[in-house]
Order: sequence, then C-alpha cells, then structure tokens
Amino acid sequence: MKTPYRVAGLALASCLALTACMSSGAGGDSAEDGDGPIKIGISLPLTGDFSEPGKGVQRGYEAWADYVNENGGLLGRDVELTILDDQSNADRVAADYEKLINQDGVDLVFGPFSTRLVVPAAQVAQDYGFLFVEPAGAAEEVFTQGFDNLFYAAPAIADDHYDYLADAIEALPEAQRPKTAAYAAMDDPFAMGTAYGLKSRLEEMGVETVVDEVYPPNTTDFGSIAAKIADSNADVVVGGTQYQDAVNMIVALQQLDYQPKMAAFSTAPTNPEFPEAIGSKTEGILSPTGYTPEADYPTNQEFVEYYTERNGTPPAEDEANAWTTGQVVAAAVEAVECASPDPECQSQLIDWLRENEVETVVGPLTWDEQGRPEGAHLIQQYVDGKIRIVLPEEAAEAELILEKPAW
Amino acid sequence: MSLLLQSLVLGVLLGGLYALLAAGLTLYFGVMRVVMIAHSAFLILAAYLAWWFTSETGLDPLLSLVLTVPLFFAMGVLMQRVLISRLRPATLTMMSVLLTFSIALVIEGMLGFAFSGTQRRIRLDYGGANFEVFGANVAVVKLIAFALAVVSLAALFLLMKKTQFGQALRATIQHPEAARLIGINTERVAGYGFGLGLATAAIGGTALALDSTFYPSLHWHWIGPLMAIIVVGGLGSIPGAAIAAMVLGMGQALLQIPLGTTWAQTFFYIALFATLMVRPQGFFGGRLAQRF
Repeated sequence: MKTPYRVAGLALASCLALTACMSSGAGGDSAEDGDGPIKIGISLPLTGDFSEPGKGVQRGYEAWADYVNENGGLLGRDVELTILDDQSNADRVAADYEKLINQDGVDLVFGPFSTRLVVPAAQVAQDYGFLFVEPAGAAEEVFTQGFDNLFYAAPAIADDHYDYLADAIEALPEAQRPKTAAYAAMDDPFAMGTAYGLKSRLEEMGVETVVDEVYPPNTTDFGSIAAKIADSNADVVVGGTQYQDAVNMIVALQQLDYQPKMAAFSTAPTNPEFPEAIGSKTEGILSPTGYTPEADYPTNQEFVEYYTERNGTPPAEDEANAWTTGQVVAAAVEAVECASPDPECQSQLIDWLRENEVETVVGPLTWDEQGRPEGAHLIQQYVDGKIRIVLPEEAAEAELILEKPAW
Repeated sequence: MSLLLQSLVLGVLLGGLYALLAAGLTLYFGVMRVVMIAHSAFLILAAYLAWWFTSETGLDPLLSLVLTVPLFFAMGVLMQRVLISRLRPATLTMMSVLLTFSIALVIEGMLGFAFSGTQRRIRLDYGGANFEVFGANVAVVKLIAFALAVVSLAALFLLMKKTQFGQALRATIQHPEAARLIGINTERVAGYGFGLGLATAAIGGTALALDSTFYPSLHWHWIGPLMAIIVVGGLGSIPGAAIAAMVLGMGQALLQIPLGTTWAQTFFYIALFATLMVRPQGFFGGRLAQRF
C-alpha cells in the first residue's frame, strides 16, 4: 500500500518540479523576448572582390540598426547586428550563416552582397527555415533555385533593369529606332542579366545584334573588345558592367573614335567616382538605377537625412538596398509580432511577406512566388554633366537624350 | 580587314606594356633566383603613387617618375639587404615565394588602408586622344606606355650587357666567392640588382596607371600572365621577355577576334604549358638562364 503512494507522490513531485522548471524556463525566455536585443546575423564581403559594395551594404545595415534603436527598437527591443566577413568567398559565406544560426543563435538573418554569395547563403537559411531577405542578388539564377524563403529587397531583378528604356525605344517610330546593337558583358550573373535583358527586348523589336562579347571578371585589357565594337559601328552599345570594366571599356572605345547613338552601362555610371574617372565625356551615358536619394517615397527623405547626418555623404544604392532589407524584415516582424529562430515564427514572417506590400525607401515592394520584386528600375542619364532620372516620364528630372553627343 | 589591322596595332602596344611589366620579374627570377610574387603589387603601388602625385599637384603623372624611380630603387636595395639576403641560398627560390607573397599582402593592405578599396583612375586630358595610321587608331596613352617600355628595356639591356655593373651582377650570381675574390662587393651588387628590378616596376606601374583603372587587389590579376611571359621568354633574358610579351600580347589581341575574350586569355597559359613541355628553359633565354 505504501509503495504506490510513494510512487504517486514522487510522480507528483516530479511533475511539479518539471512544471516549475518549464515555467521558469519559459519565463526566462519571455523575459529575454521582451528585454534582450533581437540578434540579426549577417555575413558580408568586407574584403576581396566585392569589398567595396560589401562595405556599402554594411554602412546601410548599421545605419538602419542605429536608426531603429534610436526610435524605440523593434517590438520594443533593440536590434543587434552580428556582421561576419566572408572574404567574397562562396564557401565561406555558407559557413558563416551556419555559424550565425547554429552557434550564435541569431533571431533573424539578412542577406549578403551579390548573386554569387546570395545563392549559397540562401540555401543555408532555407535549410534552417529562416526568412532570407537580401539586398543584392538580382540575377535570374537566384530565383530559379527553388527557394521559398527568399525576397529580394530592391525594385527589380537584373533582367528587368532596362525595361523603361526598352519601352521608350519601342515607343519610337520605326525609322528612329536603332538598327544595330553591340553587347559586352562581364561573365557575372548580375552584369550579364542586365545586358541580356535589354538584348532580348531589342531583338524582339528587330534591332540586330552585331557584337555579343562576354569577358571574365579579371580582364585587364579592353582594347580588343573595344576594337570589335568599334569595327561593327553599332548604333547602340550596351555594357553589362560592374565598375572598372565599364570605365576601361568606355575609354578604350573613345580611343578608337567610336561614336554610338546610344550608350548604356550598368552600375558604373551611378558611382560618384565615374565622372571623376571619365571626365567631361559622360554626356548622354545611360544607366539603370534602383535608387536615388531624390526619390519622394514616404520614408526616403528621413533615410537620406538620417544617413547623411550619420555618415557625411548621402546614401548610394548599396546602402539603400541594405536599409530596404531592414525595412522589409522589420515590417514583417512588426506585423506578425515575433522575431525568433523558431521555425513557426520564421514561416509566419515568410507568409506575411508573400501577401503584403511593404513601403520602402526604393518604393512600395511586392514579390512573386520565387521572391522576385515586381517593379522596374529607373533609368538615369548624364544630362548637362549631371546624372539625372530620365525614365519613366512621371519620375523624370530631365528629358531623355536620344542622340548621344560625341564622347 | 580594318579590325585585323586595329587588333594588330593594339596587340603590339599591349605587348610593349607586358614587356615592361615583366622586365623586373625576369631580372629577379632569372638572375637572382628570387621568385618575386610582390612585383605586380609594386606595380600597383607605383600606379597609386602616380595617381596620388597627380591628384595632389595637378601635374602630369609621368613626372612622378622622377620621384618614384629612385624611391623604388632604394626600396629594392633595402628589401634585398634586409630580407632577401637572409634567406639560405639552398632554399632561396622556395622561401622567396613565401616572403614576397607576404610583402604583396602587406602592400595590398596598406594601399587599402591609405587610399581605400575604391577604384582609382588618373584623369588625363589626353586619355581618349588618338590618331589614325592606315585606318587604325593609335591611342596616345598607349603609345606613351609603349615608348616607356622601349626606352626602359633598352636601357636595362645595355646596363646588363655593356657596363661593369652588369658584369659584376652576373659574376655575383654565377659564383659569389670568385666574384668576391676579384674585388666585387657582392652584397652591394646584389642589392643594386634588386633595386633595378623594382625601378622598372615604378616605370611599369606609372605606364599602367595612364590607361587603366586600379584598385589594391588588382595585382593578383597581373602576376599570373607576367610569370607566364618570363617563363615562355626564358628566365633571365630581357630580350626573351620582350619578345615573349610581344608574341603573347599580339596573340591575345588577334585570338580575341575569332575566340572571344575568355578563350583568348587562356592563350597565356596554353603557351606556358607548351613551353614547359617542349622547352622548359624558355624559348630565348635558355643558355643565359643556365649560365647565370
């Protein structure tokens, strides 16, 4: 008779103790949820090939975190960034996100810079069921890997960057449209995506492709590529470029006295260093851009002011995309009121972003099933020595120059 | 036809630049048995100094040579005396790879620290200037770089072949003890030899800066092709390096027409492998390399 009681007593005591433990554990957790900072893990290419844009993204993330903390935090908690350096290395970036999620126990992750690093990083996030919003993987291949946790925090994917320009050319009377086009693109998914996006649109319109050159990222000599383009005497030259390749190619084209009617290059022309490098010969050069400090989207002005005060210079595209990433994740976190590595919380965040529009510094964003943003890039052009938005017309700061002056 | 001619002209100019950039390497490697991985880092350093000089003073970057050539010569002497000369002769070649690799990293890091990783370019009024010869355009900046190459290589060749210093340097490498016995200050001579190599880097880097954009880690893109040039040309042979640079530069420019940029670049490495299989001592400097 005694024994059952004892067993029952022991069982009861154990249950109580266990419950106490559990509730105290839960209590500890909720206390942490309420007061402790929200930890956000990020890996960025702070050294190596992508160190320049990588540092830009870092500045954007840090500015965003400071801004959030100065304005009451997220869900009333501070945000704390853990930023690792992946050395622009795709193996390293995957290991970094493993570490951030597994060892550091971060609550959320933000994406790294550039397609080549976004894909392996997104894979890790996917494996752990984490929401993955990224500032810089714009190439089509990011969205064809079957990720269901990925969102690109910018207005458009690489292939759609020139959509407004293609529309403008299409709107011209047939006789005024260019007849031939030359394309030179870096062997890089983003750079090639921009050039080939425009190429397929122009080819549909019947613009003949006379040069189609792809060069490796380590190309140092652009004389021969320029010779091919100059020899074709194409009406339009399109460069799928990053930075130094665009500058070197433009100078090489000038040295060969090639005068296209239209010249479009991705990335480089929007860089403040660009006019310094090319000098007065920038007039008429076109470039798509996902961001401009002048844009009058609701949160943009505050961002530009805050960023300029903090860093001394207005933000560029990389900084803006980082900030946008922060805004997108924050919007989801505020809406579903959770920020923890718990798979349920992460999947709620993902589901919320699938269905909702987020107001950001690059405009309102929505995404398709694969995480492609459903907007287009603004088209900028050097007009009177300054880079201005020329397309679409409703956002234009200057009129599009169709016949590029000699460079 | 005009594309062919244009590519030929570009190839010759490019070959000249390659020859200038590789000249120092063949000197250290062939003559002193030092594999100088940091050579291209010094090229980029010289490019940065030329850019810095121009942005500070507003003068032509070519004038920076007056300062950088002596500076690089002195750095070379110092580097040889303080670092390279401490390596044991038996393991010199191998250890010099490690040593100069670390020097390259230090230079890259310092450039990033001092000038940031931003890509720089010297803006020249004559950057896009060109003139036409038989339907091919010749860029003034490329021609200047070519002229710098011709002058420096000729001077280097004469110095090595015709002067007492050149003889002393060769003697030092061949047989240091015998050289000391006949009164050559071998330590000083070896230091000067290294300084000479770095002085060509000052000229090469400035020539490079005239017509390209540079950033601290750019040197990794250059060291491979430059090593290929000196191996194909024959270690230690300055004319060999010049001829190999010309052939490879022209080959690259011409192959680009049918093959495109990616495959044209592999031409360097195909030439390198072919040389190592067929004639490992290189095509021009074989005897020299063995004798030195």
